[in-house]
Amino acid sequence: MIVGTNLQRVYGKGSVEVRALDGVDIEIRKGEFIGVMGASGSGKSTLLHLLGLLDRPTAGTLVIDKVDVGKLNERQRTLFRLNRLGYVFQDYALVPELTAEENIFLPSKVRGMTSRECTRVCRDILGLVGLKDRVSFLPGEMSGGEQQRVAIARALVNNPAILLADEPCANLDTRNSKTILELIGKLNKDLNQTVVMVSHEDWHKKYFDRIIFMRDGKIVTDAEQEKENPYE
Amino acid sequence: MFEEEKVAFFLASRLITRGNKGTLLLTIMIIAMVFVNLIFLPSIIAGIVVLFNQQSIDYSYGNLVIEPRENQLVITNVEELRQKINRVPGVVATAPRYTSAATIVNKGKSTTPLLIAISPDDEKQVLKIHTKIISGDYLNDGDTGQILIGKTLAGNKDQKVDRTPTLGGVEVGKTVEVTFNNGVTRQYRIKGIIESNSFGVDSNAFITRKELESVLGTKDTANQILVRTKTTGNEDAMRITLMQYGIQEKIWTWQDKSADFLTSIVGSFDIINVISTIVSLVIAVVVIFIVIFINTVYRRKQIGILQAIGIDRSIIIKSYIFQALFIFASGTVAGCALLFMLLQYLTASPLVFPGGPVAPVLEMMLVVRAIASLLIVSLIAGFLPSWLTTREDILSAIRG
Repeated sequence: MIVGTNLQRVYGKGSVEVRALDGVDIEIRKGEFIGVMGASGSGKSTLLHLLGLLDRPTAGTLVIDKVDVGKLNERQRTLFRLNRLGYVFQDYALVPELTAEENIFLPSKVRGMTSRECTRVCRDILGLVGLKDRVSFLPGEMSGGEQQRVAIARALVNNPAILLADEPCANLDTRNSKTILELIGKLNKDLNQTVVMVSHEDWHKKYFDRIIFMRDGKIVTDAEQEKENPYE
Repeated sequence: MFEEEKVAFFLASRLITRGNKGTLLLTIMIIAMVFVNLIFLPSIIAGIVVLFNQQSIDYSYGNLVIEPRENQLVITNVEELRQKINRVPGVVATAPRYTSAATIVNKGKSTTPLLIAISPDDEKQVLKIHTKIISGDYLNDGDTGQILIGKTLAGNKDQKVDRTPTLGGVEVGKTVEVTFNNGVTRQYRIKGIIESNSFGVDSNAFITRKELESVLGTKDTANQILVRTKTTGNEDAMRITLMQYGIQEKIWTWQDKSADFLTSIVGSFDIINVISTIVSLVIAVVVIFIVIFINTVYRRKQIGILQAIGIDRSIIIKSYIFQALFIFASGTVAGCALLFMLLQYLTASPLVFPGGPVAPVLEMMLVVRAIASLLIVSLIAGFLPSWLTTREDILSAIRG
C-alpha cells in the first residue's frame, strides 16, 4: 500500500545541514495500525509529513496506492490528500468559525457532495466518534478530546486509504488520550483502516500492531507485535 | 459547476458571520470613510463649479451674448434687433447693455470701474442682479442722475480692508462724480448697492441707458445684448438657431465669455481633485490591504491546515476574495448612507464660500469611479495576501 525507498529529507546546506530523514525504507500494508515512535528530533514527524504529502523528500521514492507521489504536481498532491489521505494534527487544527458538522463536511463539499449527502455522512461519522450531540457546536465550545474526535471524523469523512495521526494525544489528558486511542484502534479494526500514528508515549505501544522506532533520522527497529487487548 | 466557488463562498460566509464582529465592523467603517473621502471633495468642487457657472448666467451674461458685427464698435437699431431675437423660439428675453470705462470719484478717492448702462426692466428678465440689492433700491427705466454700485466698488470706511481700489465705503444717498470717456463729468446720487458675491458684478457701477445716451448723445445703441433662453445647456444649438434666423452680429455663449476665468478655476480645482483622489485611493489601498493582509496572516496557520486536508489553494484564495468583496460591498453601502446624510445636511446648510453658498453636487460618474476604484483595490487586497500565503509551503504555514 505504501512503499518508501531510501527516503531522505535534508534541511539547510553545508555546515548547517540537518538530515531529518536519512535513507528510510518503509513498507506499510493495508489495515495495519503502525506506531512511529522515538525521541524528539528522531525524524518521526518528518516521516509522517512525507507520507501525508505535506513535504517532499530530498531524495528517494514514495509510492502510495501504486502512485509515485513524487511525480505529482501541487494540484495533484492536493487532490491526493483530499481523496486518499486523512490527517490528524496534534492541536486538532479545526476551523474555529465552523461547527463540528461543518468542519467535517468541508472536505466532502470540495469533492462535490450535495449538502444533504454531507449532512447524512457527517451525522453517521459523528455517531461513530461518539459526538452526535455536538453537531452544531463550535470548536471553542468543545473540550480538547471532543475537538480531536471531530478532527478524526474530518480525516475519515472521505473514506481515505490511510489515516495519518501526528501525536493526536499530545494535548490531551490520559483519560481523553485513551478515548482517542481506543477510537482510532476501533476504526482500524472495524473499518480495516490503515493507520500510521506518531507518538512518544510508551503506554501507547499496546494499541499498535507494529512499532517503528526511529533515531537520528533512521529506522532502528521495525517490529510487529502481538497486541495485548488494550480495551480491557 | 461552480463547486469551488460554492465552497469558497461557504467558507467566506462562515468566517464573516462567525469571525470577530468588532474587527469586521471597524473594517467596514474604514471602507465607508474612504468611500466618502473619495467622493466628498470632488462633489464640493463640482458644487463650486456649478456655482460659478450659475453666477455667470445669472449675474453677468445670461445664456448668450450678442456683440457688434466684425469691425463695428456698437450695435445700432438695438430695438429692431431685439425684436428679431425675441421672435426666435427658445428665447425668453433680451437686455441691451452699453459697457464703458469711467472714472468715479468720492471725496478724493478715485477708481475706474466698468460702467454698465442697462435697461433695468429688460435686465430683470435676463439677469438676477435686481435680487441682490443690499441697500437702497434698484434702478428704474426712467432714472437719470442715479447710479447703482457694487459692494466691492463701494468699499469700506476702513480702506485697509479693501483689496482693490474702492470708493471708501460710500453709502446710499451720497453723491459721486463720474467722468466719462468723452470727458463729460456728472454728479450721481447712489440709489442702491449690490452684493451678488460675483466679483465681476460687485466691482461694477450701473446707470440707465437713458442716462448714458444723454451723455454720449446717442440713441438706440448698445455694445452687448444679453439673451436668456428657456433652457440652459443648449447654448451652442441656440447660437446656430439665431444665426439661421439671420442674426449677423457676433454670438457668444456664456461659456465663451467666462472661458478664461472658469478654465483657470476649474483647472486649479481639477488639480486639487486629482491629488485628493490619488491620496484617497492610496489610503484606501493601504488600509484595505493592511486590514485584509493582517486578517490573512492571522489565519496563516488555518490556511496551511486547509491545504493539508486537501482544500485547493484556489478555493482558499477565492474565499478571501469573497470576504474582501463583502467588506467592499458593506463599506460602500455604509459609505453611501453616510454620504447621503452628509449631502442632505450640506444641501440644507450649504458651505459659505466667497462666491456664495456651495452645495455639493453628486455626479454619478464620480460615484461609479469611486465604487470601481474600491472594487479593484478590494479584489487586489483579497487576492494578494491569500495568494502569497498559499504559495508558501504547507508546513511553514501550519507552524505559523
